[in-house]
Amino acid sequence: MNFITIDKKDWTRGIDQSRNAYRVYGPVKDENGCQIKPLAPDTYPEMDAVVTVMSAKSVLFPQTEKILTATLDESKQDHHIMKPVKKDEMPRVVLGIRPYDAKAVQLVKLNFDNPDYQDPYWCAAYDATTFVGLGVTHPGPCDFSTAAGCGPFSEDGLDVLMADMDDKYLAKILTEKGEKWAAACGFDTAADVKESQALFDILRKEAEKQIQADVATDQLAKKEILDLYDAPFWEDVAFSCINCGTCTYVCPTCWCFDIQDEARHNTAVRFRNWDSCMSPLFTHHASGHNPRGTKVQRVRQRFMHKLKYFLDKYDQGIMCVGCGRCVASCPVNIDIREVCNRMNDYETTK
Amino acid sequence: MDTCIEKIRAIGADLLAKGTVEKVIGFANGSIPMATRPVAVTSPKDMDKLVFNCVCGLNLANYVSKNSLSKKEGKIAVVAKGCDARNLVTHIVENQISRDQIYIIGVPCTGMVDKRKIAALFEDEITGFEEDGDTLTITSASKTETVKKADVLRHNCGVCTHRNPPVYDVMAGDPVEEQTLDQPYEDVDQIAAMDPDARWAYFEKLTQNCIRCYACRNACPLCYCPTCFVDESGPQWVGKGQDETDVTTFHFLRAFHCAGRCTDCGACVEACPMGINVRDFTRKLNKDALELFGWEAGLDLDKRPPLDVYSPNDPNDFIK
Amino acid sequence: MMGNLLEHMGVDRDRVHFSWISSAEATKFVDVVKEISEKVRALGPNKKFVKDYNK
Repeated sequence: MNFITIDKKDWTRGIDQSRNAYRVYGPVKDENGCQIKPLAPDTYPEMDAVVTVMSAKSVLFPQTEKILTATLDESKQDHHIMKPVKKDEMPRVVLGIRPYDAKAVQLVKLNFDNPDYQDPYWCAAYDATTFVGLGVTHPGPCDFSTAAGCGPFSEDGLDVLMADMDDKYLAKILTEKGEKWAAACGFDTAADVKESQALFDILRKEAEKQIQADVATDQLAKKEILDLYDAPFWEDVAFSCINCGTCTYVCPTCWCFDIQDEARHNTAVRFRNWDSCMSPLFTHHASGHNPRGTKVQRVRQRFMHKLKYFLDKYDQGIMCVGCGRCVASCPVNIDIREVCNRMNDYETTK
Repeated sequence: MDTCIEKIRAIGADLLAKGTVEKVIGFANGSIPMATRPVAVTSPKDMDKLVFNCVCGLNLANYVSKNSLSKKEGKIAVVAKGCDARNLVTHIVENQISRDQIYIIGVPCTGMVDKRKIAALFEDEITGFEEDGDTLTITSASKTETVKKADVLRHNCGVCTHRNPPVYDVMAGDPVEEQTLDQPYEDVDQIAAMDPDARWAYFEKLTQNCIRCYACRNACPLCYCPTCFVDESGPQWVGKGQDETDVTTFHFLRAFHCAGRCTDCGACVEACPMGINVRDFTRKLNKDALELFGWEAGLDLDKRPPLDVYSPNDPNDFIK
Repeated sequence: MMGNLLEHMGVDRDRVHFSWISSAEATKFVDVVKEISEKVRALGPNKKFVKDYNK
């Protein structure tokens, strides 16, 4: 681990230099808002932008991903045989990612890369990707990352963590991937380790102070699953819900997907699409039965999965990094912080 | 609208106390600036939860339909702006609810604000929001802005000609003056003036960030089908991914299902997390409904919608 | 109204036809199909509302 300083005057030149080796992603602003996208040549990441509506999860896990194809042309020998689509192995770097988005990747990794199962598409993308984070010096009103085992200067899952020092970035190189990226950009002005670390600590503390998230998760592990499941507040929580999928799609940790086959002329394609536990179709059985047929059941599932099932299964905290995107984007202002507190405080009367 | 909320609360408390209604559906303050959330109040003592301000942008008729209203339930009071009331009328006309199941607390409305217009005034995130009459004070970490509500109105509120509920049981305030517009469909005309390929490109660009969360559909009081066409799996009508053809198909068909029914309440746009003006689709239909059939939805309990009835005078020059 | 919306979205009006043909009107059916085919052929291949898996 070492520190470097990057003069902002050198920033764009460095990015350009790295484009031969990396596909560069970053926050891009257009009339529809700011999103993390691949950067077109001659465009640079909007480092000062407010939090993007969508998280960075799509860099590794696109909303729609072609995974297998087959030809339906029966004159071909391999007709109807599904073959993997060539994986995208081009190294890529995501610039200006928020620290909680990198931590979220580590949570999603539990699902896509574990001893039982390694998802070839996600793992290939993960191996190819370098995450260059920017510490959040002014957390917004929805940010509660400190309560979710993360924080505005969390290093978990990042390869480089940068701090904005007005005319320059102070960057903490955390991994080998990060070192390679810095070298590819030609960023090599070393900074004093002790001094830099002290600066980081100050910035972190100041940023953390601004987060006024009164969210407690300490009792969740002790609660009985069924007590929470049967708790009386779910009807109330779900009343205003319109059952759209916004919360799950903007979430950096939601990993559910659906496989779809499509065919046109002689080409068959198998896609993987994001899916959402908010959708009735998500659990609709072929028999017609739906075990989560009502809105209340679906809303409960989302919170129980994030705040209880995941916690119990993996013992890695809650499945939430406190980015606050679902709070900001929910059309009816269902606030996970309030639900979390209700679950945490709930005492059964049984 | 400060006096209005006192009246709404008093009316609601009275209705609950007398047992006229079982619950009152209205808006409550949200947990972040510029947010409100729909709530159902069942006890007079909770009545002060209710608020009414310029960020009550959803449509509460969405919370009253066959799916959410069981037969056994008693009467429900709904706090209704002009558009909410028009959608309640549409529900009644379409046999989703009966008139005697609901009690309409009508609210004269001077429009809702466009949160995206306000957010665009700031480089950073908004931390505070105050409404005082026609003046809004918005704060962020870096600055405070004072704006006139009229300057940041949602587009649909700017072109609204039915601010007062056409049907109600009680009004929570004096009617406001209705707007008269020279060019009510200027936005539609602007698109129509482009050549076909430019129009196609316009709509492709419009929906390019769509994430298929269906918030537009779910926020819409018109969308009460038990299974939506996009959720049908046997047969499946439309692909589920991000392919632009599938996305456009969804938006086109969603809009068409609202033909002659849409009240332009703007809940779809309000709910969209990606800031897509899906009203660009429905506005064209509303314009046609007005020009071809002289129809605006939700104004009259006794009139059938134009696509619901046959009339010998129906325009038919498109049939060859 | 559906045709109008499609046209508004930039789909060529000549690709969308509405006809009322009775089962007894065989000749009208043939005429209409001929007319549509000619119009669409003149327009060339449609690029709108068409999926492309190679993208």
